[in-house]
Order: sequence, then structure tokens, then C-alpha cells
Amino acid sequence: MRQAGRRLGGQAVRKAGLAAVLLTAYPPNRLTAQDPARISETQSVLTTLVETYGVSEAEGPVREAVKRLLPPWVKSETDTAGNLWVRVGQGDPVVVVIAHLDEIGFRVTAIRDDGALELQPRGGFFASLYEAKPALVHTERGPVPGVFVPRDTGFSRHTPPPLRVDVGTTSRQATEALGIRPGHTVTMPKQFVRLAGTRATGRSFDDRVGSATLVLALRHLDRAAVKHQVIFIWSTREEIGLEGAQGAAAILGTTARRVHAVDTFVSADSPLELANFAVAPLGQGAAARALDQSSVTPPSYVDSLAAVAKARGVKLQIGTTMGGNDGSVFTRYGVVDVALGWPLRYAHSPAELVDLGDVASLADLVQAIAESW
Amino acid sequence: MLTAYPPNRLSAQTVDQLAVRLSAMTAVTGLEQAMADSLLLLVPGSARDRAGNVTLTLGAAGPKRLVACPLDEVGYVVGNVTDDGYLTVRRVGVRIAYPLFDQQLEGQPVTVFGAGGAAVPGVVAVKSTHLTRGRPAASDPVFTADNAYVDVGARSRDDVRALGIAVLAPVALTKRPHRYGDRLLAAPAAGRRAACAALVAAARVKPRVKGTVVVAFTVQSLYATNAGLSTVQALRGPFDETKQLTLATRYTDTAVETVSLKDAEELERELLKWMEGR
Repeated sequence: MRQAGRRLGGQAVRKAGLAAVLLTAYPPNRLTAQDPARISETQSVLTTLVETYGVSEAEGPVREAVKRLLPPWVKSETDTAGNLWVRVGQGDPVVVVIAHLDEIGFRVTAIRDDGALELQPRGGFFASLYEAKPALVHTERGPVPGVFVPRDTGFSRHTPPPLRVDVGTTSRQATEALGIRPGHTVTMPKQFVRLAGTRATGRSFDDRVGSATLVLALRHLDRAAVKHQVIFIWSTREEIGLEGAQGAAAILGTTARRVHAVDTFVSADSPLELANFAVAPLGQGAAARALDQSSVTPPSYVDSLAAVAKARGVKLQIGTTMGGNDGSVFTRYGVVDVALGWPLRYAHSPAELVDLGDVASLADLVQAIAESW
Repeated sequence: MLTAYPPNRLSAQTVDQLAVRLSAMTAVTGLEQAMADSLLLLVPGSARDRAGNVTLTLGAAGPKRLVACPLDEVGYVVGNVTDDGYLTVRRVGVRIAYPLFDQQLEGQPVTVFGAGGAAVPGVVAVKSTHLTRGRPAASDPVFTADNAYVDVGARSRDDVRALGIAVLAPVALTKRPHRYGDRLLAAPAAGRRAACAALVAAARVKPRVKGTVVVAFTVQSLYATNAGLSTVQALRGPFDETKQLTLATRYTDTAVETVSLKDAEELERELLKWMEGR
């Protein structure tokens, strides 16, 4: 892993005074008076997206939240896969920047005779992290609260028996009367919480952070500097197989030259992970996913990315991690995937943790790419 | 500091509201004094004894009766701070029914109570699914408190110290009481909190009691020899009758321990009858 650049895109992200941390501990998502404007804006956009629910195939609320956060000059459109598109500039080469709207969670598969819900996981995660926790069933009438039922047998680590949700009823009819039916999605309540310094935690940072950086880049974009077409896409169903991105890639075919998936760099900067690779420390800036399980960025493009970052003073780490990214489904059309991310601890858990300075750095990088690459 | 609600909105609270309010508080056994402070405000005329119990004496003469509710919970304290700013913990309290009690911490938001009771948010570290690299998840042993690394966003031991956190600071799952169904309440220790809420509600009515009734919210029920209740009995007894409050719970000792607030309301009615000797 190496670094390019020595500062954060002109947005000094220094750890706020620790005295401020105590003030922000409760309520947890208050901005600190010492926050630089860039951190404040990053937190504001990210909080809105993180506190909106949208399991794969139910991304509508997140898509609408993104639209509300976009600058007024933006014209957006939604394709048949539910992807949100914003086109900026004209001419070749066409460059795509893509982040996904959806989050991991569950889908109701059946309502039992005793009123409890049977579930199917959507995305890959340890189901045990949801066990014995509050639940929300997302219905057309709004969220219905319940609880993920704790197991009563098989007391192991990450492999509980299939999880169920108890919504406080004792019959199928009573559950149906709450407006619940198979196909509805299920999550647990979540909240953006500011931690010490510029750290923050919440659930679904993967990939609301990516989605937020596209919004931030558009807000600050110098449209006159964009010399070719750049397409910003917020995609659907990434967590269940990059499905939305596949639709977008098929629409564009060979038209696009380059794609930048903007998604989590799953970091081994954690007391629990092996330090063999993926050690992108938090607070050291955005991270290039030069190699993951779905794509390899050609070395010359990695060098170009590093040059863009260096020219704009954006802090960038370059490394390799695990997982797949939306950009990989464009490569079959001859589109080069230069995947970007930010270091995330505890990925796919309710305790995901980021450094807001890294998020701001990534937004600066997306903006720099649109304006100068 | 242990509750999201301002402390001066105490009037005319229903059992439901009190149960939610008390369930949002943290009182790790032996370290209950922040919650005791709240109870002193909630129950006019109450006082703290040398063990930290909160007691209120109603009426005079005999018979002399005691009604007690334990306010503590099984929880954790900071056991050590690593050089790179993580907190490790030890459990306090042992009487738990759920075999995976500690595992409920893994990958979850927690609150650390620092100097002056300041609530400092954090999370308990968990491996990323992405980085398990095909290793079978089933091979990991059950998570215990020894596996818990609390991340409060600090980068060093000095950062932790600046947050007001030191060894013995209480640590608990972040409390967000969750109502569902028909007046059900899910939260850690919800049964105890709802029972205490019924007792608070009954005491706040200022009932005309038969003889003397000592109302006690006791500490350290889950450690050693129930030192709190024993202290009340030693200092204020002997009692002609002792009533210890409990409520039936579902998913007992889990983070979604569930209690019926209808049951809590019924307990308040029964308590008033008992206090008044009806």
C-alpha cells in the first residue's frame, strides 16, 4: 500500500479538539463547532442517507433521498432497473461513476401460523449480528416494529438457526392485519453516530458513503471544467449480485471508456483482522481498490489515478481488498474499471465505522476525476 | 446523563412512559449511582442509603413492610485500554439465563460512561464477512467478553483518557427501548425496569398506606450476596413482610427482553392495593 499526496484536497481534516467530542457524545450526531465546513457537509449528507432504509429491491426511499440532496441544476432520470442517472458534460470519452443505493437486510418469505415472520437474507453477512435485536418491517404503511427472535438451541457463533421476527402477534391473521406480507423487507433500526475526532459509526455505510460522495462531488463540481460526458449512477441490487449495474452496463454497452465503482474498501485496520493485505488505515484518505474479487485495475490506470489525486492534493491509498464492485460488470464491454473506495472497519455489521476525513477525500477525488480525467 | 430525556419532565408520567425512561438508563451492578440519581428525582422524598439504595418511607407505625425492586443489570466495565485506543472489558454480574449474553455485544453500538457519567458512544469490533476469505464461520468459538474490543474512535491511549474514560468505566449495549405489538417493550433488563416503573408510579401517587411501607430501589442484586437488599433489611428492618417485584418476560436476558406494559400497569394497581392494605 502506498500513498499519493500529503494533504486532503485542501480540506484540512485534522482531528477536532477532544473537548468537543464530549459535547457531541449525546445526542450522537450533532456537528461539532470545530468541524471544518467540508466535514460538516459530509456528515450532513451522509446522515440523511444512512438514516434512510433501502434493502436490495426496495431502494426507493434512498433514491428519493439522493434526489433531494442533489444541487438544483441537476436533471436526473431513473431507468427500468431503478438506477438513478445524472449526466454531466458532453462528448467522448464517456466516463461512469457508480455507487449503490441498496443495503443488506432481509426479505419476508412467509408468515407462520404463530404470526412470526420467516426471512431470507439479502446480501452476505453474519446473521447472528441481527439476532436478539430490534427489527423493522418495511411496509407500504410505514415501518412495523418487532424483534429478531433469539435462538433457543444451537448456541454457536455466527450460524444461528434461520432467523424469525416476532411482531408481537400470535396468529397469521393478526400479522397480516398489520399490513405485513411476504416480499416486504426487514432491517434493524439504525442511526448515524459521531465518535471521537472525525470518526463515525452507523449501519449501511456500505454504500451510503459512496452514494454521498457522488452527491458531494456534484454539489462542488465545476461544470465548465468537465470536458467530456460523465455519468453519475446510483445503482440498485448490488448486494444481491450487482444486478442494477448490469442493467446500466447493458444500456451503455461499449459507449463508456472507463468506470469508477465507488464502494467500500473493506479495511483490515482492525484489532481482529489479519494484516496480510487490505490494511488501509482509517484517516489516511480515499483508497483505490486496485484489486478485489471482481476486478483488477490495469496498472497504468492506477498510476493515472494517483497522478490525478496528487495534482489535486487528494490523499489516496492504493491497495487490495476483498468483495466485488459494480464496475466489474462493465468490463465485459471493454470498459476499464478503476474502482475507488474509502477504508471501512467492521463491514456489513451494525457497527460499521469510518473517518469522515476519508469520505471527504473520496468526494474530492470523484470531483477531480470528473473535472480532469 | 444516562437518559436521553431531560430530567425535569417528571410530572404525570404513566407506567408506560416510566418503563421506557428507565429502560433507556444503564445501571451496571455495583455502579448504579447515575440511575439512582434519576430515581431520587423521580420519587420525591426518597433518599440514598450508605450502600447506594434509594428508599422512601411512607406512613408510620406497624405493620412494617418492605417493597423492593432491583435496579441493577448485568453489564461490563472497561478492563484495560490498548496503546492504539481500544477498550477491553470484563463482565460484572453473573446471573443470566441467555447462553449467548456476551455475544450480543459483537458488532453492536455500545455506550461507555466516562467521567461524570458522560455517555461516550462506541462500537464493539467484529470481523468483516469480506475478509473471512472462505474460512468457515462455524469454526469460530462463541464470543465472550474476552473477545470484545470497544472502538470509540480513539487512536491512542491518550485519546481515550481525553474522553474521560478509564478502567472501571461502565459499558453497555446502547439503550434504545423498542416498543412493538400491543404495548410490548423490548430492551435489555426491560422486565426489571418495568417493575421499577410500576413501583415509581405507585410511590408517586403518595398512597395512604397501612402501617409503614418502605419502598426500596436496590443495588447489587446481581453480585455477591444481594448486598443492596440485605442492607435495606439490616438498616431499616425487621420487616413484617417483604415483597420483591418481578414481571414475566419473554426473551429473558437478551437485548430484546420483552415485557408487557399492560402487566406493568396491573402491577402498579396491585401495589397500590397492597400498600393501602386493601
